[in-house]
Amino acid sequence: MIIASASVEQNIVSVFMRNLIAFFQRFRVFLVFLVLQLIALGSFFSWMSYPRTKFFNTSSAVTGTMLSWKHEVTKYLTLDEANEQLQNEIVALREELPESFISIDAKTTLINDTLYRQAFRYIPATVINSSHQHKNNYFTIDAGRLKGITPKMGVVSSEGVVGIVYDVSDHYAVVKSILTENINFSAYVEGSTAFGILKYLDNDPRRISLTGISNDIAIKRGSIVKTRGSSGYFPKGLTIGKVDVLEPVEGKPLWDIKIRLSQDMRKVHHVFVVENILGEELERLQGKVKELN
Amino acid sequence: MIGVPIHIIRFILFALAQGLVFGQLDFGFGIHPMIYPLFILMLPFDLGAIPLMIISFFMGVSVDFFMNTFGLHASASVVIAYFRPELFKLFSPRDGYESFRQPSAGDLGYNWFLSVAGLMVLIHHLWFFFLEYFKLSDWFYILQKTVLSGLLTLLIFVLIQIIFFKKQKVL
Repeated sequence: MIIASASVEQNIVSVFMRNLIAFFQRFRVFLVFLVLQLIALGSFFSWMSYPRTKFFNTSSAVTGTMLSWKHEVTKYLTLDEANEQLQNEIVALREELPESFISIDAKTTLINDTLYRQAFRYIPATVINSSHQHKNNYFTIDAGRLKGITPKMGVVSSEGVVGIVYDVSDHYAVVKSILTENINFSAYVEGSTAFGILKYLDNDPRRISLTGISNDIAIKRGSIVKTRGSSGYFPKGLTIGKVDVLEPVEGKPLWDIKIRLSQDMRKVHHVFVVENILGEELERLQGKVKELN
Repeated sequence: MIGVPIHIIRFILFALAQGLVFGQLDFGFGIHPMIYPLFILMLPFDLGAIPLMIISFFMGVSVDFFMNTFGLHASASVVIAYFRPELFKLFSPRDGYESFRQPSAGDLGYNWFLSVAGLMVLIHHLWFFFLEYFKLSDWFYILQKTVLSGLLTLLIFVLIQIIFFKKQKVL
């Protein structure tokens, strides 16, 4: 009896195994399909951060090098435009030099007795690859870890804010453009104390949205929107753009504000990466606050 | 039949052309032509379904390297590689594919090429843009981008066929 039941059990197991193997054979094409999709989509929807940062982007040495070759060829097409942008910035800075001013009242002078220390440094870089037609856009710059760039540094151009560093390799960095749905940094409207969160919602590379401002705050069309500098990526008061459309959100006490970017994201050539010298201290302090709670 | 080295060279050329030229062009209206599905379409007839998907996956990954899309192109290419055997069966000529050199317009004619390539591009672009937006309320952008980019992609496919894959003279 015991021997018989053992053989029945064995039989059941072998039938099960055979069925399992048959199942895998019948569906093996679909299973390979599922595995490949899981890898690709897992990276795309950032369930897995390893392939996303190590594999599927342009900070790698090979693609970075090829994109900079491409840039060597195509940069001459936009040279005039790029030079003009840089020249405009030199003009603006030159107008702030003491030599550009004359005294209009000889009797009184202003003496500045406040001490300052430097908090932000700028690292120059060139955009070698960019996109603006996607829902979430990224661009690649030709400066990386060896030039002191680390993730989460702000990136600005001569006209305004353009993004935040996302991933770095030795010689290249991938920047999350301001045209990204979850760019999420705070900005304020000049002339009021209101601040909100920036988001890219409308698939129009000229405009982004400023969300979360209560609609009892008076805001004028055309007023300038600036960075709030709360997370330490940017100094306070860098220009982002101008209020272009202002409508109340239906059913909520909030403004729906569209900002026209002062930097046309279709024409970004030369950028500066913002290094916050006190950033580490700020981060450590804010980390401590979370622990205390 | 066409040798393996030719396909490797095609792989590199299509990835570079997509990453450095076609992916960089700016047509406005969200038009974004993607030419590498033609490489997947023109892989040998007798390639098994699994090798086909794996090769297509690597094609997509190579394009992702250039475009900062984090796996979106890889996903879309695996989808069309999965459907390619079915599409080929659907549009099979009366005598099967045995007497043809490769799946190109020169060998099988433009009727066959446009129907297969059209369906493949439609599946590819729809999948690509649907995942990119991943929101049903954005259906208008998804359809607009699929249709406009798809038409441009097909036009580029036909131009590539006319220039590089003329019908071989039978001698």
